[in-house]
Formats: sequence, structure tokens, C-alpha cells
Amino acid sequence: MKQTLFLLALAFLLLSGCTAGGDGQLSVADAWGRTSPASAANGAFYMNVVNDSGSDDALLSVATPACGMAELHEMYDQGEGVMGMRPVAGQRIPVPAGETVELKPGGLHVMCMNKTAAFETGETYPLTLTFEKAGAIEVTAEIREQ
Amino acid sequence: MSLKFRFIILGALLLWLSAACSAFQPHEFGGVVFPEPQTVSDFALTAANDQTVHLSDFEGDYVFVYFGYTFCPDLCPDTLAKLALVRRELGDDAERMQVLMVSVDPERDTPERLAEYVSFFDDSFVGVTGTPEEIDAAGKPFGLYYEAHEGSSDSSYLVDHTARAFLLDPNGRLIVAYPYDASDEAILADMEYLLAQEG
Repeated sequence: MKQTLFLLALAFLLLSGCTAGGDGQLSVADAWGRTSPASAANGAFYMNVVNDSGSDDALLSVATPACGMAELHEMYDQGEGVMGMRPVAGQRIPVPAGETVELKPGGLHVMCMNKTAAFETGETYPLTLTFEKAGAIEVTAEIREQ
Repeated sequence: MSLKFRFIILGALLLWLSAACSAFQPHEFGGVVFPEPQTVSDFALTAANDQTVHLSDFEGDYVFVYFGYTFCPDLCPDTLAKLALVRRELGDDAERMQVLMVSVDPERDTPERLAEYVSFFDDSFVGVTGTPEEIDAAGKPFGLYYEAHEGSSDSSYLVDHTARAFLLDPNGRLIVAYPYDASDEAILADMEYLLAQEG
């Protein structure tokens, strides 16, 4: 009897392991923007995109009242300590199934052009993220120093 | 001697040894250290209110020279915010640390705009710029590279640039180059180490 129970429990654990990652959704965690003065025309937003949906997806665009215009950008290392920044090819950040894509300083970010206000620490701004499959996702980005 | 007492002695000895060990370990810097401090030729650039700022004005202090531009959304504010944090953490020694941001985008960054920008991070920070020739001359000892390029239709132009923060000692010699991802903890530990070395 004990053995049967054990086997049942084991089977249950294994099965629950199977389903995790397939039935979930695509979600966005820890969206934030860096504090910056009014004299800085541009700013940046960062976040983690967690794809538990079971199928590949991609971030296509971001809209927010905080920016005159928002684009998906990436930093790239040119060697010798030189860093460059460029719009992401095709304005499309792939988010493969089961993976988390980090938008973070020195890497991918939402380039916020012509900021509509100074970004003061503690403020929040709504971001509307559009994904290829998941569609529009609304998140709130907190302004903080780092 | 009881066994317990012996253990206490042994424990104390081990503790002392490990403390002594770490005290003799050389300090590891958070950036690339120049084995021989590099002499940097003086330069003159312009700050707000038409004020001429020489690099040599800051001799006696530890100076962080950073090349960037105010339209830069990612690394420049990240680095300046880190340096501001380090300066705040230094407490009474904060006066010994100076940050000098040189804009490589004189077309858009007027000295006034720069002053407003850098003071947002810390009141003591100084922002300077000049003609492209003056910027090139100032950047030469640091191996400065920068180049403007088109972003996309609406994003106006972007500037690729050397993203290191350079630390000069109180004699104006280049001692450490910090990569953009050096942590504020590491930079702070370096500053505390350097100040402690002064005795």
C-alpha cells in the first residue's frame, strides 16, 4: 500500500513537471525606467519578458505616454571599450518558448525618445507592449535609479 | 591544558591567520589597472557660463573622466548614477572625488544643457564640451572613439562612444579604466582603498 502511494505521488510529481511551461502565459515582470532629468531628451525602460506560453513569441512595439516615441534598441560592444546602440533589427525581439528575455542596461532596452516629462524616482508610467502572438499587454513601469 | 582550551586556542589562531591573509592580499580593482600610471596631457574645455575648465583644475582630487552625451538613454545615465552613488557613500571623503563628463555631441549638448544634466546626478559633477577638435585633443590620451550615426527615421542620430569611466589619481595620472558594467560597490571599494593608501 505504501509503495503504491509512493508511486502515485511520484507519477503526480512527474506529470506536474510535464505540464508546467506549456499551459502558462507570456508575462512581463519588473518593468522599470531610469530616473533622468528633463534635460535628458531620451530615456530607457527595462523589463523581463517571461514566456511560459509554450510557443515562440516576439515583442514588436511599445507605446507609452512617457515618450514622444518608443523604439526597441540594443547596445552592442564594438571592442576597445566602445559601445554602440542601434534599433533592433526589424523592431522585433524574439522571446522563445520557455525562455526569459531580459531588457537591461548595456543590452536590450526600450529607447524612449523625446521624453514627455522628467523621470522622477518613484513615479510610474503605463507601457503597452505588443507581442506577435500574445497581443497587447499593459504593464506599469516604475521609475528608479537602478 | 584541557582539550576544550586547546580548541579555543586553535580556533583563535585560525581566525587570526585568515584575517592576516586577507590583509596581505593585494586589492583587486573593479576596472582595468594601468601598470604604470599614464600621464594625461592637460586640456581646456567649456562648461556653463562660458567657463573654461582645465583638467589640471582638479589636481589633488581623484577625477573620473567620462565621455558621453545627454541624448544617450542607457549607459551614460547608468554610469553617472553609479558614480553619484559612490560619491555619496564616501561620506566625508566625497570632496576628494570629482566627476567630469565630456560631451562628444557638441552639436546638441550646449554647456548649459550639460550642466543641468550632470547636476541632476550630483551637484558637484562638472559637464564640459568644446569644438570637435578640442574634444579629440582631450580624448586622445584616453583612446577616445566616438562616431555619430543615424538611428532610424525619427530617432535623430545616435553616437557610438568609448563607454569607459577613466580614473585619474591626484597627480592627474590615469590609473584605472572602468568598463560600463563595473559595479558601484567595486568602484567604491577602489576609492576607499586608494584613500586609505594615502594614510
